[in-house]
Amino acid sequence: MARHEPSPEIRRSSVWSDLLVIGLFAAVLLGALNVEEEWQAPLKTSAPIDLSPSVLPLYALYSLARSWLAYGLSLVFTILIASWAFYDLRARRLILPALDVLQSIPVLGFLPGLVLALVGIFPHSNIGLEIACIVMIFTGQVWNMAFSYYDSLQGVPAEHRNLARLYDFTGWQRFWRVELPFATQSLVYNSMVSMAGGWFFLSITEAFQLGDQDFRLPGIGSYMSVAIAQGNVSAQIYGVIAMGVIIVSVDRLVWWPLVRWSKKFNLDDFAGSASSDSGSGRFALWLARSTALRRLTLVWEKTSDTLLRRRHAPHAGKEQAASSRPRPAFGRWLANLAFVALLALGAYAVVRLGLLIAKLNLTDWREIAAGTGYTTLRVFAALAFSVLWAVPVGVWLGLNPAYSRRLQPFIQFAASFPAPMIYPWILTLVGLIGGTLGWGAVPLIVLGTQWYVLFNVVSAASSIPNDVRSCAAIMGLSGVRRWTRYLLPAIAPGLVTGCITAAGGAWNATIVAEYVRSGTSLVQTTGLGSYISRATNAGDYPQLAAGVIVMAVLVVLINRLVWKKLQSLANERCRFG
Amino acid sequence: MSASAPILSLRHVSHEYGSGTHRDLVLSDVSLDVSANDVVALLGPSGCGKSTLMRVLTGLITPSKGEVFHHGRALHGIAAGVAMVFQNFALFPWLTVRGNVLLAVEHLPPAERDAKVERILATVGLDVYENNYPRELSGGMKQRVGIARALVASPEVLCLDEPFSALDVLTAETLRNELARLLADKTNPLRTMILVTHNIDEAVELATRIVVLAANPGRVDQIVANPLPYPRDPKSPAFAAAVENLHCILTHTTLPDAPVNGPDAGKVSFPVDETHHRIAPVIIPAVNAGEVLGLLALLPTEAIDIFDIAERLGRDFGSVVNLLKASELLELVRTPGQDVFITDFGRQVLAASTLDQKKLLREKILKLKIFELLVRLINVQEDKVLADDTLLAELQALLPHEKPRVIFRTLVNWGRFAEIIQHDQRRHQMRLYERKGPRVLTGPGAGKA
Repeated sequence: MARHEPSPEIRRSSVWSDLLVIGLFAAVLLGALNVEEEWQAPLKTSAPIDLSPSVLPLYALYSLARSWLAYGLSLVFTILIASWAFYDLRARRLILPALDVLQSIPVLGFLPGLVLALVGIFPHSNIGLEIACIVMIFTGQVWNMAFSYYDSLQGVPAEHRNLARLYDFTGWQRFWRVELPFATQSLVYNSMVSMAGGWFFLSITEAFQLGDQDFRLPGIGSYMSVAIAQGNVSAQIYGVIAMGVIIVSVDRLVWWPLVRWSKKFNLDDFAGSASSDSGSGRFALWLARSTALRRLTLVWEKTSDTLLRRRHAPHAGKEQAASSRPRPAFGRWLANLAFVALLALGAYAVVRLGLLIAKLNLTDWREIAAGTGYTTLRVFAALAFSVLWAVPVGVWLGLNPAYSRRLQPFIQFAASFPAPMIYPWILTLVGLIGGTLGWGAVPLIVLGTQWYVLFNVVSAASSIPNDVRSCAAIMGLSGVRRWTRYLLPAIAPGLVTGCITAAGGAWNATIVAEYVRSGTSLVQTTGLGSYISRATNAGDYPQLAAGVIVMAVLVVLINRLVWKKLQSLANERCRFG
Repeated sequence: MSASAPILSLRHVSHEYGSGTHRDLVLSDVSLDVSANDVVALLGPSGCGKSTLMRVLTGLITPSKGEVFHHGRALHGIAAGVAMVFQNFALFPWLTVRGNVLLAVEHLPPAERDAKVERILATVGLDVYENNYPRELSGGMKQRVGIARALVASPEVLCLDEPFSALDVLTAETLRNELARLLADKTNPLRTMILVTHNIDEAVELATRIVVLAANPGRVDQIVANPLPYPRDPKSPAFAAAVENLHCILTHTTLPDAPVNGPDAGKVSFPVDETHHRIAPVIIPAVNAGEVLGLLALLPTEAIDIFDIAERLGRDFGSVVNLLKASELLELVRTPGQDVFITDFGRQVLAASTLDQKKLLREKILKLKIFELLVRLINVQEDKVLADDTLLAELQALLPHEKPRVIFRTLVNWGRFAEIIQHDQRRHQMRLYERKGPRVLTGPGAGKA
């Protein structure tokens, strides 16, 4: 937030820029009012969804509001939980594994419980449903952000930490002036990824059926699900187009400028200093010309100045210097309390779930076991397929930056697009070639998860040092040997990371991919995912709990026994430099 | 495949990086032959395209213009029988030392390849380490693996791309001596090498022909034969004479004695068409303005040899020459021949306070044609704000053979240093610097103690 002298080009105000800013603010305000009104509306199970394209902008607005609220929640949670884990050693030992488990378990399975609880708390308005939806999106977004921020906190150089101590920064000052600037770049990048993941959850949770209750929130996801339920193909196409417009505009108007802006926090200070990729900065420049926005910036600077201003000279009153004193008793007491509360909450949840599952009989467990087998096969088949195509393509893209730059926007779009929205289309295709959902679920799963493999392979391949590439070329490595001796090991760390992320997504996707509503018909196949979905639909909570727990345990076990081992092996053996 | 044809030869090769408006010409019209039993050193200042030239010779880079021949035939792809040693080793971290070396001969029958690997590992002194991974080795050991990997396939030509510059001085010396011993060994079949280096002693110790390259754009300046018999003794008078000769050539190449302070200082004229000539400014060397002052403070009162300065600073010759060129352009030093004198103006600058230093240099810098041009360019802009892109395009048009980005960075660096321009990195634009009253910092970034 360094003070910045507006340059003359920006001093030249443009009426259009002002109008744009005013318009944006009006839109946000109107949106907020609308959303608020909708929230106050009485709870209707199965809210009527209008399929005419003219309501799409409004629905898009609702959906955007949900995903941004969820993102805001994720950001706050990220900063709080990661800082806690970083500064409290004892909490760290609990929080980090918890985050690790949470990011790998199928959060979709928790949706029913959440919806019921929140609807119970707010029986007379939509607000419970809204919160449930936002929390679901949040759970799909938050984990990688939290990990990235924790990593950034660990990456703050010791020099800067010492500086903060020398200047006697308070925790608040340290956060704004040291920690957040260091974390900004990776936080922005991870936010972008998270937001894309959020659309997947949004598309499912806006229209959600539990037993005979149909919880529906007006939004782009529910529009799509109604269009699919009614077999209204033109409405489906409108929905897909609207989703595409949302993704592209959020990308261009929010993430691109943010990514550019965050480059100023780059530690290698020579990078990009004379870069002239000003094409994507035009919007930011345009905004900067607005007088209204400049005033706002000034207000912000003043406020932040007041908030961050030093209240006393550094180390005034030496005996009070916080750094050298043990933690105040009150703070420690609070930390202990929070710790105990966390433990108690965990214990309570375990006991309740245990009691719930105890109601199941042997047939249930048999069904779960069989389903687990099928679903595991599907997940790994989806993963194998993704690896099979994404590795050669990703390596090719990574080694040819000219192509990858050109293709990147398209791949990013495809990756952000919530796959469940087009499940019925894919299923129709599968049906056309005589397939059933039994194996047809595999392409549905692949649809959402292949991108993680591709992205990670591209980035790993593009970071192979130039000399190593030259060396491989000079030695004439070709064919099988080129892959086994050179390319596969070189991309191994990225490939494993991509597989871990993709597998996590795949388990989640089985819940919607093994149990698909297409038109008026319902297609399902044997599997753990469909077991969970069926239990959800029937409102059978013991079955639901058992299904979710089995899946969660399985995922965590596979992570620990397979992926983590592979990851540490790849990182140990195959890192350059 | 006639026996007399050189192993590798280049004919009128030019190469540029980038595309569209951002093109950098790195090699310009280079012709070169590498015959059997040649040890060719490519010597020159940084940015003269030595490494690119080597990569063109090996076929790793296909040049934008010109032809490459391998045994008299046009080369497509990688030249057969070529091995390469890289500056940063380029080892495969997932393979053991043995695995890395084996990779180069894996296509051979097992018995033969194992014998070769054993022999070469013993030769370079790596047999103890054969089952270690590269990350467990020191830099010198890593480069031994690199050399073993290159030698194991019995190449026809060995390419060495600054093989010792990532190593500490002592290790580099050891490895260089071993390579020299290899060349002195008459039974060793490998007698053809291409060596990229910026170290004159290294070139004289190893090469039979030394190709001195000039920078911006990279081109062959002179080819010096170095017929001293192996083994060469760096303390012998013949060796010293060869080094001295190369010193002179390099100095002349990179720091010509042409009168730079005449009335036409800082100008080169380019024909625009038959009747008009465009006055193009001499480019300013790509150095930090602050470093020029640092160099000045290091200079003794009497004359000093350029190579002594390089040694004292522990920097490569090219970068020192660039610093001297910049100092000479600002009339801080004179460089007759290989000697460097500090001028009266230089002394005056040295004695001045920081503020006065800037003022003195500002006057000199403003007199440079390229800055006159920059100031004029800013003044003709609407709002007197010059976009980076505009300046880059202008530089490209004005100096088509230079790297516009490099000049741009230097211009901005000098302009800011001398308080001539203000550059806004976020908005990619600049304007003339205006001195304001004492600035009051109120932003949250300014600590108020």
